[in-house]
Amino acid sequence: MTKRLVQGNEAVLLGAVHAGATYFCGYPISPSSEILAQASHYAAAHPEFRFLQAEDEIASANAIMGASLAGAKSFTATSGPGFSLMQEAIGYGHKIGIPAVIINVMRVGPGTGMPTMPGQGDLNQTRYGSTGDYTSLVFYPSTVAECYEYSIQAFNAAEESRTPVILLSDAFLGHLNEVADLDAVKVKVVPRTMEPLASGGTRLFSGVATYADGEPATADADEYIRQYEEAKKHRLEVAERYAFYEYGWNKESETLVIAFGITRRIAQPLAAHFALFRPIRIWPALDKELVEVAGRYKKIVVIEGSDGQYANVVERMLLRRVERVPLLGGRMSLEAIREGLDRLGLLPSEPSKAGAESPAQADAKASAVG
Amino acid sequence: MAIKDKLKTDLFPTIWCPGCGIGLIMQQLASVMDEVGLDKDNTVLVTGIGCTGRMGAYMNFESVYTLHGRTLPVAEAIKTVRPELNVIVVSGDGDMASIGGNHLIHSIRRNPNITVLCNNNEIYGLTGGQTGPTTPQGTTTLSSPAGAAYSPINLQGLVNTNPNAFYAKTTVYHQGPMRKAIKEAIEWPGFSFIDIASQCIENNGRRIGFASAYEMLEHYKTEYKPGPRDATHLEPHQLGIVKGEPVTVAAAAPSGKGQGE
Repeated sequence: MTKRLVQGNEAVLLGAVHAGATYFCGYPISPSSEILAQASHYAAAHPEFRFLQAEDEIASANAIMGASLAGAKSFTATSGPGFSLMQEAIGYGHKIGIPAVIINVMRVGPGTGMPTMPGQGDLNQTRYGSTGDYTSLVFYPSTVAECYEYSIQAFNAAEESRTPVILLSDAFLGHLNEVADLDAVKVKVVPRTMEPLASGGTRLFSGVATYADGEPATADADEYIRQYEEAKKHRLEVAERYAFYEYGWNKESETLVIAFGITRRIAQPLAAHFALFRPIRIWPALDKELVEVAGRYKKIVVIEGSDGQYANVVERMLLRRVERVPLLGGRMSLEAIREGLDRLGLLPSEPSKAGAESPAQADAKASAVG
Repeated sequence: MAIKDKLKTDLFPTIWCPGCGIGLIMQQLASVMDEVGLDKDNTVLVTGIGCTGRMGAYMNFESVYTLHGRTLPVAEAIKTVRPELNVIVVSGDGDMASIGGNHLIHSIRRNPNITVLCNNNEIYGLTGGQTGPTTPQGTTTLSSPAGAAYSPINLQGLVNTNPNAFYAKTTVYHQGPMRKAIKEAIEWPGFSFIDIASQCIENNGRRIGFASAYEMLEHYKTEYKPGPRDATHLEPHQLGIVKGEPVTVAAAAPSGKGQGE
């Protein structure tokens, strides 16, 4: 295929289809609704692809768990409040070990918040949103082509880890139209290996703690810990194979900027002045990689669309103070980043337009606003 | 004879209290399965939270023990992906009509070809005996010391908002009508719902004056009478089946086991 204009939300859907997804269930919510709408159109043209617009996000998230157990690679797409409603099913999927993909196109919360404005405030929710302890796998692309690529990777990681994997996006990225050649993205698809329902066995897929024979293990700490540790070990091993990040820009700078998703694109004009570390795998946090890189820099500043959710993680990982530029209320702009850096005394004296990337990427913010 | 093949008897005795009605439903479901051609290769059980949800663990089938209230979205998705499977939902009244109520009204609307067996004991049993959506008004429960404040939900009315749906009312005492209802519900081409009055002696019955499970069964025996043949509506305490106009569910081609490359 030649290059064409693709929207971020569309690229996510196309990635899911490429990964072999055959079941989508969702509920309309800005700014993710294009994924639902386009899934419905895709289903109309491809009867083997099943689609349901459900009564709510609770149903959507539980339905994709059922569909996956039945043998389909399955997914849903939502945003802030809808993602909150999906948390119980995400925990259910982690308890049982169900591969599925949940796309969260982030807006500004809490509550109904600012439905059409971009935010990055769901990082903690992707890690800790459901009850209990579990090992989340979460990815967050920065470009439309990456939306496609990491959509496929999310499905792959889901199959390998047998967990519901979260693919993050945001209102800017989801609605960003940019020129991309999706065929140039080469990711091998991991096939389904889990035996589907009614394969001749008598398995029990239980959200309740049980022994292998199905008897309740609801008061057996040893059994709980055994199952938990086994699942955690496997999921962390899988995560190791998906340790995606970007390290670049001006590596000679004294200051390391940490930015991810659309924020990394918005900060692009500052490339000449700062080194960049961009986590693509948000969870599990890239501790090894970040510790190694961060050691080379005097100052670290995290620029993100929340009040320090990732900065807190970085501080914990590095055991040192990091500077923060929170972009709140949807004000995710170069001006807001400059203001934030200025407050910290980190704003470079001469503005540079030396973005080393393509014009399309450097203009990401302008396109998203348009 | 074939009942035992359907049950994981090595796990018996079950965790259900002596005198519980759920076992009577499981027994009848297990005994009717051969007759309607249900086996572990073509059938999936989807169960809800609460005492009733444990049924899947005791049957020789692939079984999905869902979260509180979520049987229907899970069951519908399984049926959508694998239309060749029989999908049987077993769930309590609280699970189905309260926390799962939104799913219930929309499943009724969408009319998936699945069967629901609702163990209706008019109480939240496993959590100790709190008022449920089907608890009769005035009933003293753990959470309604002055009597349940509101009238119970009308399950028959809900199901029959879809003119193509199947609703049956029976009790665990009336094993013949229950057997007939389960059999016809499984064969019904669309959404079928069996509302089964069932006793919870430990966390409801004793509190409202029954001395034993036997007394509760006797109560069903005397209180419930057969409704008219071909009924379009059942009065309270009438046994029977209200059938809508059956629609032949357009069977989509199976998407096949195992997807992906």
